[in-house]
Amino acid sequence: MAGPRKAGGTGDRPDLLTAALFVGLGAVGLWAGRDLTMGTAAAMGPGYLPRIVCWLLILVGLTVGGMGLFRAREDITIPNLRPLAVILLSVVGFAFTAEYFGFVAASVWLLLIGSLADRESRWREVILLTAGLTAFGALVFIVGLGVQLPIWPF
Amino acid sequence: MEFLDLLMLGFGEALNPTNLAFCLLGALLGTLIGVLPGIGPTATIAVLLPITFYLPPLAGIIMLSGIYYGAQYGGSTTAILVNLPGEASSVVTAIDGYKMAQNGKAGSALAVAALGSFFAGTVATFGIAIAGPTLSSFALSFGPAEYVALMLFGLLAATVLARGSVLKAIGMILFGLALGMVGIDAASGEERLTFSAIELFDGIDFVVIAIGVFGFTEIIENLENVEARGVLVRKLSRLWPTREDFRKAWPAVLRGTGVGTFLGILPGGGATLAAFCAYSLEKKVAKDPREFGNGAVQGVAGPEAANNAGAQSSFIPLLTLGIPSNNMMAMMLSAFIIHGITPGPTVLQTQPQIFWGLVASMWVGNLMLVVINLPLIGVWVKLLTVPYRLLYPAILLFCCVGVYSINNRIFDVVLAAGFGLLGYLFRKAKCEPGPLLLGFVLGPLLETNIRRALVISQGSPSVFVERPISLVLLIATAAMLVLMVLPSFRKTREEAFQEEEA
Repeated sequence: MAGPRKAGGTGDRPDLLTAALFVGLGAVGLWAGRDLTMGTAAAMGPGYLPRIVCWLLILVGLTVGGMGLFRAREDITIPNLRPLAVILLSVVGFAFTAEYFGFVAASVWLLLIGSLADRESRWREVILLTAGLTAFGALVFIVGLGVQLPIWPF
Repeated sequence: MEFLDLLMLGFGEALNPTNLAFCLLGALLGTLIGVLPGIGPTATIAVLLPITFYLPPLAGIIMLSGIYYGAQYGGSTTAILVNLPGEASSVVTAIDGYKMAQNGKAGSALAVAALGSFFAGTVATFGIAIAGPTLSSFALSFGPAEYVALMLFGLLAATVLARGSVLKAIGMILFGLALGMVGIDAASGEERLTFSAIELFDGIDFVVIAIGVFGFTEIIENLENVEARGVLVRKLSRLWPTREDFRKAWPAVLRGTGVGTFLGILPGGGATLAAFCAYSLEKKVAKDPREFGNGAVQGVAGPEAANNAGAQSSFIPLLTLGIPSNNMMAMMLSAFIIHGITPGPTVLQTQPQIFWGLVASMWVGNLMLVVINLPLIGVWVKLLTVPYRLLYPAILLFCCVGVYSINNRIFDVVLAAGFGLLGYLFRKAKCEPGPLLLGFVLGPLLETNIRRALVISQGSPSVFVERPISLVLLIATAAMLVLMVLPSFRKTREEAFQEEEA
């Protein structure tokens, strides 16, 4: 795994990413709250504080980014997209499978797909683990704790 | 002797079989996740939060706190035996503890760590019992202006005392505040920042964010950093420390307890900061600082006492003022809220059994932990050999079912996955997610109080400086901001957190 290496030049990449995130999220917040009434300090409307907070967020983002531009160059650790994509896919898949096909199908999907995130996974282990955890989950969460989710698709 | 009566009430609650069982369960779970690297107490508590809804309020809270302080014990075991700190707060323990183990004094180090932690836990428990009623009677006189000032002070202090860039932490708090505003505005009944999604009208649930940025992001991060985990466990020597070790260790335990209890109360403090400060303090007062790093027993005793004391005293601001001081306490706050209890000065009066039961259970839990940890140490060390590929699918399943069970809808699961992605981006941008949670839980409280204060003053902001307590807190907040700009203070702060990198 390559760490953050120091190369020549300027620009602290994590700081610049922070700036992009903060400014972006602040802008989304301002856009989402564009129709809210402002009100006055004595009688605040629902939009008063959200707007202040979003502007402050943008301001902080710009400051972090501005200072990051002049810092010594630092790179972002190289992302490994496999775990990220696999985990997110397995979770979103779990959600939709649970809705239409019940817990067992969703849990099997989650654990089988989720196991792809780690290259070290071995099929025998994965199958045993999936069976065990699915049975455990169905018994403890749904039968025991009463989570509202059908066990089977029918 | 009202104090004793209340303490007895607490022990009565803590010793009833249900609560005792959940205290043991929490302590066991805490030790377990403390031993296992890659799973922290924050993620564990986030996963278990929805489940506590099915338990009686006190039992659930007792279990969650058991996990928090139990993790401090478990973390030190692996730090000493295999140089793998299970928790951030035991990073410094590994420096001297592992050296002691290499010198054949592993048993001694473990015993000093466990007994020191137990002593510190006892003192901190009494600290909470004494400080609680005093502070909360003080807080009863707080008006909205005081609460606003207190929250601003708390949020800002949390950024200065935590590691990482202060500016980024402030940004994360602001983002947390904005997330807390999503949903129907309590004052006007208008929906805001919901993108017209009906699912968001009730606001975002705390568990969704916590599992997203701690649960999912942590799994992804751990899978990304594959490292060979060669675990080599040394044979344990005798468990009881030598007289020489005892003589050296006990003053360090005392100092560590003091440092830990004090730092735990401060916003942003808690176990990790306490351990680092105690280690530097021990290095400063030692006759021969060269011993440190080569197996000094004080280097184990001080930080271990401090992290346990800090873990427990960080409950003080939450229980007495209703203000969480770090992300763990933000979790605890939402555990209370799940049961419809808002922690703060009034809980102490209306539901004394909750406060005193929790305090008493902490002492009971600490006693259990000494038993769990010392004789059973062999079992815990065996667990270290369980590979992560067998652990993370279980965590993943618990996270998904946990998020689903809050409102029984898949929307929350997908939203949590979204927060997982966002949390991943924040990690890449080197932003700590802790302040986001703090901002999120304090946001609604802060907004309500700002509005109230300004309604009373008819819009004039001078209300915040006219009331003495509020003025003092605001001056302290401003002073902290000024300190952060001073280069000399920044240097000291950076040094204080530097040992972590080493």
